Amino acid sequence: MKLNKLLLLTFSIGLFFTSCTNDDDTPVLPRGDYENGLLISHEGSFTDGVGTVSFISDDFTTVEHNIFSNVNGRTLGTVVQSMVFNGDLAYIISNVSNRIDIVNRYTFESVATIDTGLSNPRYMAVSNGKGYVTNWGDFTPADDDYLAVIDLTTNTIIDTISTSYLPEEIIAQGDQIFVATGVFGLGNSVDVINTITDTLEESITVGNSPNSLQLDADGDLWVLSSENLIEINTTTNEVIKTVELNNSITAPSKLNFDSGNLYLFSGGAVYKMEATATTLPETAEIEGVSFYDMSVRNGVLYGLDAKDFQSAGTLTTYDLSTNTEINTATLRIIPGEVYFN
Amino acid sequence: MRHNIFILLLFSTGFCNLAQAQLDAIQKLDEVVLSDTKLVQYTTGIKVEKLKDSIINKNPVSLTGLLAFNSNLYFKENGFGMVSSPSFRGTNASQTAVIWNGININSQLNGQTDFNTINTTNFDAIDIRSGGGSVQYGSGAIGGSIHLNNNLEFTSHFDTQLRLAYGSFDTRMTNISSSYGNSKFTVNAGIAYIDSDNDYKYLGTDSVNENGAFNNVNFNLNLGYFISEKDVLKLYHQSYNGEREFSGTLVAPSNSKYEDENYRTMLEWTRISGAFSSKLKAVHLNERFKYFENKANNLFSFGKVNTWLFNHNLNYRVSNTLQFRSILEFSRFDGGGSSFGDPRRNAFSATMLMNHKPTTRFEYNLNLRRDVTSDFENPFLFSVDGAYRVSNTYAIQFNASKNFRIPTFNDLYWQPGGNLDLNPEQSYQLDLGHTLDFKAFNFKLNTYYIATEDLIQWRPDNSGDWMPINVAKSQSYGAEIEAFSKIKLKLNHLSFSGRYSYTVSENIETKKQLIYVPFHKGNVSIAYNHAVFSMFYQHQFNGEVLIIGDRLSGYNVGNIGFGCLINKNGKVHYDINLRVNNFRDREYQNVALRPMPNRNYQIITTIKF
Repeated sequence: MKLNKLLLLTFSIGLFFTSCTNDDDTPVLPRGDYENGLLISHEGSFTDGVGTVSFISDDFTTVEHNIFSNVNGRTLGTVVQSMVFNGDLAYIISNVSNRIDIVNRYTFESVATIDTGLSNPRYMAVSNGKGYVTNWGDFTPADDDYLAVIDLTTNTIIDTISTSYLPEEIIAQGDQIFVATGVFGLGNSVDVINTITDTLEESITVGNSPNSLQLDADGDLWVLSSENLIEINTTTNEVIKTVELNNSITAPSKLNFDSGNLYLFSGGAVYKMEATATTLPETAEIEGVSFYDMSVRNGVLYGLDAKDFQSAGTLTTYDLSTNTEINTATLRIIPGEVYFN
Repeated sequence: MRHNIFILLLFSTGFCNLAQAQLDAIQKLDEVVLSDTKLVQYTTGIKVEKLKDSIINKNPVSLTGLLAFNSNLYFKENGFGMVSSPSFRGTNASQTAVIWNGININSQLNGQTDFNTINTTNFDAIDIRSGGGSVQYGSGAIGGSIHLNNNLEFTSHFDTQLRLAYGSFDTRMTNISSSYGNSKFTVNAGIAYIDSDNDYKYLGTDSVNENGAFNNVNFNLNLGYFISEKDVLKLYHQSYNGEREFSGTLVAPSNSKYEDENYRTMLEWTRISGAFSSKLKAVHLNERFKYFENKANNLFSFGKVNTWLFNHNLNYRVSNTLQFRSILEFSRFDGGGSSFGDPRRNAFSATMLMNHKPTTRFEYNLNLRRDVTSDFENPFLFSVDGAYRVSNTYAIQFNASKNFRIPTFNDLYWQPGGNLDLNPEQSYQLDLGHTLDFKAFNFKLNTYYIATEDLIQWRPDNSGDWMPINVAKSQSYGAEIEAFSKIKLKLNHLSFSGRYSYTVSENIETKKQLIYVPFHKGNVSIAYNHAVFSMFYQHQFNGEVLIIGDRLSGYNVGNIGFGCLINKNGKVHYDINLRVNNFRDREYQNVALRPMPNRNYQIITTIKF
């Protein structure tokens, strides 16, 4: 059925291209059912469920849930925490199951599974042909927090690197990766790892519990914590700006960068700050929302609402030039993050 | 003719007096033998099912296994032997009270009792009281209550029982108990130990239940002594000491471990003097747990609560048809733990019960209760229940009550999140029961309605921090049918029990059935005896349930057992039993992703002398 649909699609698009594009004879084949749309990872029920991934076409006309199990006939693990793309592949991290499922990001066909060497895996970044996965280890002990280094050609863990504290978000820039370490009011550093030598080069002190990392157009790293917003030059690894919180923004999270602006979420509202500004705004762009996560891309905000964490969540998009709603789709249990495929 | 009528009248009044005298004797006996007489005397309109020791003995050893097959309760078990939560009539585990010799023993930390931590072996009677009972039994008696009772036998005896069992997954059970008594003094003590690797195969997969081993030891000691003709001093003690690995799921491994301990001691002084009987109880309860995220290292989080409770109970029998009881209770709770400092709570309650039998056919109770707690306001509670005997075989029971569940220590003090502004959950309910009693056949039908408001649920706030709030309203309604039958033909004894319940339990706002409440649940037990040979079959059906974001299929599971009485000569009794659980080897889960055991065997031998 799926194959038939795919063939039909291939055929019709092929026709379209042959009839309309005279100057280009190379037919562009679709790479899979899940191209040109959004992938939304879902944590699923922590106690007795598994995580899922949903697909929503760019125009919101097609919505398909549980695409991993639809394609592969088996489920992902418990609490799908995050996903990362590398080339045609997507790496899906199941936190409680200590597992990474590797799929083709367009067809969602399973390519490989990594299920050894991980302990409470959270996020992953790719640099120099290697995957770097943040692992909490056990929650309490502070000396078992690490990065697992994966050789992406063999999909095996080849090394581990200790981190300062519980490692959360991770981002790659050049031959470096930056790891936010800290959560639940503890930990306040960004660890810098050289991905040629796979060693911890330095720890940059930031605010308490850094919760999100973003790179801006100049390649500067922005670190949002429960204390402040910090800009770091990724060449010198020095803090170049510290923006303090204000009375409106007391517990910010979910930092995004889009076209010269930074966006963050605090107390049920979305705030926008120009990257050149030195203070956070007092007034919100969008209020009265409850986002478990949000992403901003090309002037559109994608807000995920996990509701009561027991019933279906939603995705709502907003046009940031007018701050009005564009589309809404009903999702599954605890939608965690939007990925642009 | 007239003469005959006169004789008949005389006879019937005489009979009546005789019956009344018997009742008196029974009530006096109850006061002495039972620690929780209100379960007998003030429950006219409430469905109470007594599980006899023959049934208790047939289902060693956890309360979960016993009740899943022998009551209308529905259980969620996180894998065999793991945390087990009961549900009465679509309510939840913290709305089910467990009463040990009249005292509510639900955890102050999470408001519930884990039914896999109660070893049934050392109790003489287990009663299942369906419906609200907060007036008599306090917080959490919303859906119903389970009563674990030890009896004190003031007769001349000295009995000892030794039971050994061995089964699949290297499961070993040992139980030794002894009872001694005369007309003035009695003592009984028992110790029960269970140990299991619990590494059963997950049917249909290549994996086994890893990290599921458990062991626990239960100790009971009960004493009774007549200080004078009117005064009896009693001491009850029970302790539980358990260590369990917490098994993972089909998709997630686990290496955690849980250790918990419970100590319960009660000293009771009963005085019976004419129409008055009074009981003064001093109770000490201690619960503590340690949770190890990784059993390989010694890092753990812990919680503990120490409870001191004083209870005075005065019963006044105005006449043979009218009696009153007052209950005053003061409790003090001292908590401590990794996540909530050292909170304290004081509670006081005053209860008034009235039992009235206006006619021989009709009897009712009126009950009132007021609680005062240091942390929050409590509702005024009441219950009315009654029974009308339409004929010798048919009776109607009814009850209406208001019940509550107080916020737990976790709800109030857990850091972060604990919310000191919580109110108790409040619940109203109605229950109508019909009972039909024939010589060889009994039948019960109950219909009920329960509305609960201010349900406490943990929800994330705007900043994503979780905290408990009084948020939801739910309603449950449904029907329960129970049928029992006993047939005796020469040396052949056949007994049958069957239960079915239909339960709707929904969130009033969303009109959706709550998760983990099956619409349909039923069970059947058939036991057959012929001289020294016995066998039984028990079957349980649980319908499909909703779970978060999905559905979990229903299941059927059956156990079969054979027994042989080897020696009954003189005083020594020796029997051997073989039991096959899940004998059709079916894969089933009662909590999603946590398979229950495949077919497994137990051999049990009992020696009594």
